[in-house]
Amino acid sequence: MPMNFRKCQIILFLLGCLIPSAAFAKLDILACEPEWQSLAELLGGDKVDVKSATTAFQDPHHIEARPSLIVKTRNSDLIFCTGAELEIGWLPLLLTKSSNYRIQKNQLGYFLASDQVELIEKPATLDRSQGDVHIAGNPHVHWDPYRVLKIAAAFSKRLRKIDAANSEYYQQRNSEFVSRWGSSIKKWESLAAPLRGKKVIVYHKNWSYLLNWLEIEVTGDLEPKPGIPPTSAHLASLLSHTKYKKPDVILIANYQDNKGAQWLGEKSGVPILELPFTVGGSEAADSLFTLYEDALSKLKQIR
Amino acid sequence: MIIRTQYQAKMRFFCLLSYLILTFTPVLEVSANPANPDVSLVLDGFYKSEATALSERGRSFGLGHTELSLQSAIDDRLMGRFTTVFESHEGETEIEIEEAFINTTGLGMGLDMRFGRFLSQAGYLNSHHTHSDAFSERPVVYRALLGAHYFDDGVRLNVLIPTPFFWQIGVETFKGNRLAGGVGDEPVGVYTFHTKIGGDISTSNSWQFGTSYIRHKLKVMEDNHEEETHEGHSHSHNAVYSAENLYILDAVWKWAPLGNVRNQQLILSAEYIYADDLNEYASDDDNHEGWYASIVYRFHPQWALGIRQGEAKLKQAHGDHFHDQNLEETDLMISWSHSHFSTIRLQYSRQQGAGFENVNNAVSLQYVMAIGAHGAHEF
Repeated sequence: MPMNFRKCQIILFLLGCLIPSAAFAKLDILACEPEWQSLAELLGGDKVDVKSATTAFQDPHHIEARPSLIVKTRNSDLIFCTGAELEIGWLPLLLTKSSNYRIQKNQLGYFLASDQVELIEKPATLDRSQGDVHIAGNPHVHWDPYRVLKIAAAFSKRLRKIDAANSEYYQQRNSEFVSRWGSSIKKWESLAAPLRGKKVIVYHKNWSYLLNWLEIEVTGDLEPKPGIPPTSAHLASLLSHTKYKKPDVILIANYQDNKGAQWLGEKSGVPILELPFTVGGSEAADSLFTLYEDALSKLKQIR
Repeated sequence: MIIRTQYQAKMRFFCLLSYLILTFTPVLEVSANPANPDVSLVLDGFYKSEATALSERGRSFGLGHTELSLQSAIDDRLMGRFTTVFESHEGETEIEIEEAFINTTGLGMGLDMRFGRFLSQAGYLNSHHTHSDAFSERPVVYRALLGAHYFDDGVRLNVLIPTPFFWQIGVETFKGNRLAGGVGDEPVGVYTFHTKIGGDISTSNSWQFGTSYIRHKLKVMEDNHEEETHEGHSHSHNAVYSAENLYILDAVWKWAPLGNVRNQQLILSAEYIYADDLNEYASDDDNHEGWYASIVYRFHPQWALGIRQGEAKLKQAHGDHFHDQNLEETDLMISWSHSHFSTIRLQYSRQQGAGFENVNNAVSLQYVMAIGAHGAHEF
């Protein structure tokens, strides 16, 4: 029996895409970022096999369309990405190079989180003199738990469409997720209540959804313009700004270069807080749930 | 008095109208039709201290590869791209269509096809747009044998083999009048065969290795002196040296700590090109050969340093015999990118060679700026 299975596997491998693999195997999902890998795993359970194109230590704006990623794109039945131009520097090329029709734009196998929710910080005018702004708005939606709920519902619906045979299973997983996530939101909100009105300096508009949700005020950004690394002149102006704005903390993501933040922290005495930006960004953050828990417990250190 | 009030009312109306127009224009811009193609314009300009051998860029100020590009999905099965290049040489402006192709979006079984005018995928650098290069000009061997970048009218068929690592095989057929030696009697002048493998060693290290073969059906050679006059500051895009067979080996290795290319990245790349059967008079010993190797280290999100060494050993056709030519070039560059869309590059090129005019050392200062759509770059 194992022998036969082995043979079957070899034949499948050789025939490649001649045989529609979905009939035999798990649904292959490629998530562009680890947060969506986690969500896809939570919603797809053991019916899906999810890979992430990036890790928590990589800036998702800047990824190389590497040969290994082309292979992952070629093999997937469904891609789960952020959209809103976050992946514009690499995803279009991966799609073109993958020769995989199923996951092309607007196909059933193409799912963008940003298409499912309203985005904040949409630019009023579009001009690169404002930096590398995203036309559709701020793409970092996984930091709003309510938007995550909407994205989860839409993604679960998509799973049921693509893999109708397991429709009930996905429905079940989604209900479980909704109740668990819903009760977590309540817990997190009461935990984070004392954070309301705190002031932070950020590095890129990474945390806008989280800070909006927790009603934490942003008083400055290490980037002079979106996409432009901190300059010494800008840091100097931030230093004088810390004197009257009195931020409580400088917030950076685990993948970011912390030189600018360190300089400002040393000069101003404002502590630096490094948060995992996504799943895998800290040891504790191994799923969307633990990511939120870890980030909140770290934010609680703000005095 | 009444007239004055009417006038005021009219003015108020116009003020309100212009206010409304001003308020709503940006909104209209943001909600631009998604069917609109991606438009991008690359501005490339330079100052070069000396003319150098086998170079498209002359002395003093000049415009490089200014390209205007449109790209969009045609429908769910096809995409299209159009790139026109404006170049200026010694007071003359040249406009060239560099790309005008349609490409399928997955035919099944890993197959894809491309029709029209496009950059050949033979070699590593050739299929890259020149504005994404780390140095201001292509390596000497590319300039000599491929006209800096070989593009032509034809068809491509690519297949992505279902292996656990990346493996692509592709064939192209072209008209062939953009490689030296022109088109023969056959309707198809050039065939290329190309295969590429690649993968990751770890999250920090990725590699790619390619081999290519270009078969060019030369026309019966006439005297090559016409091309000789271009030598030194050829402003032709076409390759200067003919050969029936071109073999290319290429290798690329990229490193970034934990694969995070935002903060730093090291890129090593090298290619070797060998060409034989130069024309009907060529013996077995007559061949072109060349290589380059480059190291580019971006040590800061905005700063990069690079060194490239390259050489081309060429045979220049003179009727029924050949003259030996040899050119070595070493390039050192430092570049600064204020944003993802703007790069300023300072480069020093040192040339040594025999059989060429304008074998010089030159300093060049170049800018490459992108307006519009955020193009994705190939590995």
